[in-house]
Amino acid sequence: MPLTPMEIYKLLPKTNCKKCGEQTCMSFAFKLINREKKLEDCKPLFEDKRYELQLKKLQEMLKPLAEATETGLIVRSEKCNGCGNCIVVCPVHVEKDPHGAGIGKGPSIPDPIYRIENGKLVILNMHACRRYGKNRILCVVCRENCPTDAISFLEG
Amino acid sequence: MICTGCSCLCDDVEIAEGKILNACERGYRHISKYMENRAKPAVEGKEVDLDRAIEAAIEMLKSAKNPAIYGLDTSTVEAQKTAVKIAKKLNCYIDDNSSFCLGEFVEAILRKELPSSTLEDVRDKAYVIVYWGTNPYHSLPRHLSRYSYYPRGAKRQRGYDEDRYLVVIDIRKTEIAKLAKKNAKFIKVENDLELVDSFMKALDGKAGKYDVAGVLREMKKADFNVVFGGLGLKYGLRGNFKAFIELLRNINKFAPLYFIPSGFHANMRGFNETLFEAVNAVNSYSFSSASSSPEFAFTELLKREKIDTALIVGTDPIASLPYEASSKLPKIKKIVVDPRKTLTSRIAEVVIPSAFSGIESGGEMVRSDGVRIKLKPIASSEFDDVYVLKRILEGL
Repeated sequence: MPLTPMEIYKLLPKTNCKKCGEQTCMSFAFKLINREKKLEDCKPLFEDKRYELQLKKLQEMLKPLAEATETGLIVRSEKCNGCGNCIVVCPVHVEKDPHGAGIGKGPSIPDPIYRIENGKLVILNMHACRRYGKNRILCVVCRENCPTDAISFLEG
Repeated sequence: MICTGCSCLCDDVEIAEGKILNACERGYRHISKYMENRAKPAVEGKEVDLDRAIEAAIEMLKSAKNPAIYGLDTSTVEAQKTAVKIAKKLNCYIDDNSSFCLGEFVEAILRKELPSSTLEDVRDKAYVIVYWGTNPYHSLPRHLSRYSYYPRGAKRQRGYDEDRYLVVIDIRKTEIAKLAKKNAKFIKVENDLELVDSFMKALDGKAGKYDVAGVLREMKKADFNVVFGGLGLKYGLRGNFKAFIELLRNINKFAPLYFIPSGFHANMRGFNETLFEAVNAVNSYSFSSASSSPEFAFTELLKREKIDTALIVGTDPIASLPYEASSKLPKIKKIVVDPRKTLTSRIAEVVIPSAFSGIESGGEMVRSDGVRIKLKPIASSEFDDVYVLKRILEGL
């Protein structure tokens, strides 16, 4: 299930109590996904027993956040067969490594985003990804071209 | 090193920091586990030294009335040439897996009935890329990313979503069919011959069962298109290869369309080319009657109980052949030359260990498009297929 701020907001207390430092519960939900806030910052959720069930659901829902990288990328290596489509289609690889990953070979630059190690996809340098940093864009090219859905993003 | 896990023969595989880089999972397993489950020389189930096993094999072949040589698809061209010499000396049958794999297509290419090209040209120039009856996700995992759809070629700089048109023809929605999204078409086929007919009709501007006019329109836009045909196409045509050859010839009048077989053992095409050079046939050849016929395919020989001894090199017929044929194997004498213990070597009279081509022994292999590639082994072995087969040839 995609992890969206709205799904999280539905399970928050929705009282806009401002105890977390945010103006609204909705903005808290946004910051949760961006990992600027932690679930523990929402004090009523832990103190008030009324929210016990919601808290459990939220904790379950936010589990993928822990295994995802800073860009929200999750690689399920048990599904990966090392075809390398993601490496070749990556626009950053094409730009930086036109004669290596750009033409289908294994990356020849020292710090590629992805590499196939022992037959599985490994993330080496997430900071070069177009989804990283302030001017990020929501690029999903690698996910779109994964034949087994081994690559996914937090937003779905 | 060159990975010999499949007929892609990827040349960018590296070993660094104790890891195998760039190889797909299939290649990784092939390379990393080569030391496991190794065969030992044996005669009648008892372990002997290598010389004794080779001598026993020579004796067995000398006393055989109707021997056959089978396998060789993972051996080097050098080993295949030696095997052909043995077959000639024994005046016997020789066959490989291509008799039930893609041998017919390779033969049509070698006889220049089907126009073919290299995978490098496909990468640099191809616009419409058709995968017909093949699922490279399983058979050739890096095929799409390495050679065909995804790489940016010299004349196809804008990438797959603008400069390529992918067509996947299969009976089910395979993994690669899921990748056919923008600028692509998936044709779910029930009868390949009807699809060939639909293409023929579309060429004349008529409508057939399948809507393929769009694919032909795309082909006309470009000066290089390619069809990768697999086993689904071979068996879908039901022996009617002429219809397919005719279709390619007709399309070529409008737009250049090449054919490359895809999805087989590392050096199956090498065997086909070696035998073609020697006797003008690609497989199922009998030196005693100096001709090639489907009757001389190893599976047919077994079913009809025409042979009494088999020299099996680098393949496991008990595991891979249907019961109808493999159930006849215990009745004949078997000499197995294989680096690994296999189900066949368990019941073989003589087992001769060998080396993994490309990992422990060098030589030359032929990629699926006919390009010859020199292997770069990472380990060494005292004996390999060439050594064993040459000793047998000398002994005869």
